[in-house]
Amino acid sequence: MPFFEWMRANSERYLLEAAQRDMARKYLDRPGPPPRRGGMAFLWRNVFTPIYRLLPWSLRRAIIQAMPGSHRRTWTGRAPPGRSA
Amino acid sequence: MARKIVVVGGGAAGIGAAGAAKATDPDAEVVVYTEFEDVGYSPCGIPFVHGKEIPTFEQLFLATKQTYVDSGIDIRYETRIDAIDVSGKTVTVAGGELVTYDALIVATGFHYEDPGIPGSDLEDLHYIKNIRRAMEWDPVLDAAKVAVVVEASPIGLEMTTALAHRGIETHLVDPRPWAMADVADPDIMQPVEESWAELGVKMHWNTQVEAFLGEGGKVRAVKTSGGELPADVVVVCTHKRPENRLAREAGLKIGPTGGLIVDERMATSATDVFAAGDCTELPHNVTRVPVQGLSGSHAYSQGKVAGTSAAGGDRIYEAVNVPWGMVAGKWMIGGVSFGETTATALKIPFVMGVADGISRARYYPDVKKVRVKLLAEPGSLRLLGAQMVGGEGIKERADFLAMCVKKGVTLTDLAFMENVYSPAIGALNEPIALAAQKGLAASKAGG
Repeated sequence: MPFFEWMRANSERYLLEAAQRDMARKYLDRPGPPPRRGGMAFLWRNVFTPIYRLLPWSLRRAIIQAMPGSHRRTWTGRAPPGRSA
Repeated sequence: MARKIVVVGGGAAGIGAAGAAKATDPDAEVVVYTEFEDVGYSPCGIPFVHGKEIPTFEQLFLATKQTYVDSGIDIRYETRIDAIDVSGKTVTVAGGELVTYDALIVATGFHYEDPGIPGSDLEDLHYIKNIRRAMEWDPVLDAAKVAVVVEASPIGLEMTTALAHRGIETHLVDPRPWAMADVADPDIMQPVEESWAELGVKMHWNTQVEAFLGEGGKVRAVKTSGGELPADVVVVCTHKRPENRLAREAGLKIGPTGGLIVDERMATSATDVFAAGDCTELPHNVTRVPVQGLSGSHAYSQGKVAGTSAAGGDRIYEAVNVPWGMVAGKWMIGGVSFGETTATALKIPFVMGVADGISRARYYPDVKKVRVKLLAEPGSLRLLGAQMVGGEGIKERADFLAMCVKKGVTLTDLAFMENVYSPAIGALNEPIALAAQKGLAASKAGG
């Protein structure tokens, strides 16, 4: 899998799983998804996710915008959050 | 000489593209290649025929094959395209025929993510996609006593409800802690879970599917992290992934979601090659994060833009706000943009307002509950997203709120909006306004 697809798939998976743990606890009194096993899963869960959550939104937004994808081409739309017109 | 426009794929995007191309340039030669037996039907309706809400599959067809012949669109059924050459401007049809084009539209759709576990190759695992396979499979359900639905994706929710309606003991297995957990919030889905329980659905959350067990191509059970579930039928409803093998081999640029990179004219990275539907990725209007795997209406609209562009017309598609809605269990659920789960995952700052209202006057027969949850940007209070669950009126509210997100409407605007009050169709207090008032109060209280 090309690097940016691998990056997107994993960041999405582990950030969502972390959010689902928080939300399941908050609303359902249920545990979250069981943690995946393996060294890479450990790094995504215990290194990437906490660091991502510590960064300010403006920096996270800048990193997201710097990734390749359709959003880098010409599109009409509104300004992202935190950058109101 | 007439412009030749080739469309690869006969789903909503491909057919939308072909129709728009012909409308833009009536002299154009428009040829659609599809590997399937049919075009012009509603695959989204398949679960409702399985659930017996719709009596026959024939009702899902929107047009006959003759309709396309009469409109000058040449559809080649059961004809696979094996390769695309963007520099030579040709496609290779299975069997070796080389077909030239002036403009190409890639509308190759999606495939379900491979569960990647033992038994995934069993022949009678069922996937909801092709109407002919659905017609062949439907009689199997008459004899089925126990069904397992793998993953609570949108199609998984519809199939769970359909099978339960059909009186089949239905097990829903998902590795996440609630249904549609990558999109919907748990408090929105809780009424759905309760209604499934009333219908006899057995839900297995935080549960991994580890293998499909069977012999001779026939599945007999599903092995999960919570134990073995015997099954007469298994429906696999994993995530939709972009079907981009041809495009990758042709060297078209692919984005991080696996979808084709396009611009607002639906133009890809190659000259005179356009793309539309589930094989593409689009920027989300609020976050600007590329998203993929949207609804049939998105695919059809994108097809219209791709077809117009391919025929030399001028039309654009805009970044998506993603209004969505569906029936699940005894409820309608829906939303726009994103909810609390996604905002929490991306750590997007938000203020939130949640309110429980009603769909009609409280004394009017069949009045239904409506819960509205609004997320707004701190400070500006511009609407970021919404989620809803209720007995009626969810789709209309999702469409309205999508326009609100697009236009930058604020919680203040919504809190004091005018609304229809008529006992039979609308309550005195609109639930959206009530939620916005709660959001304003939360904002004043500091979050």
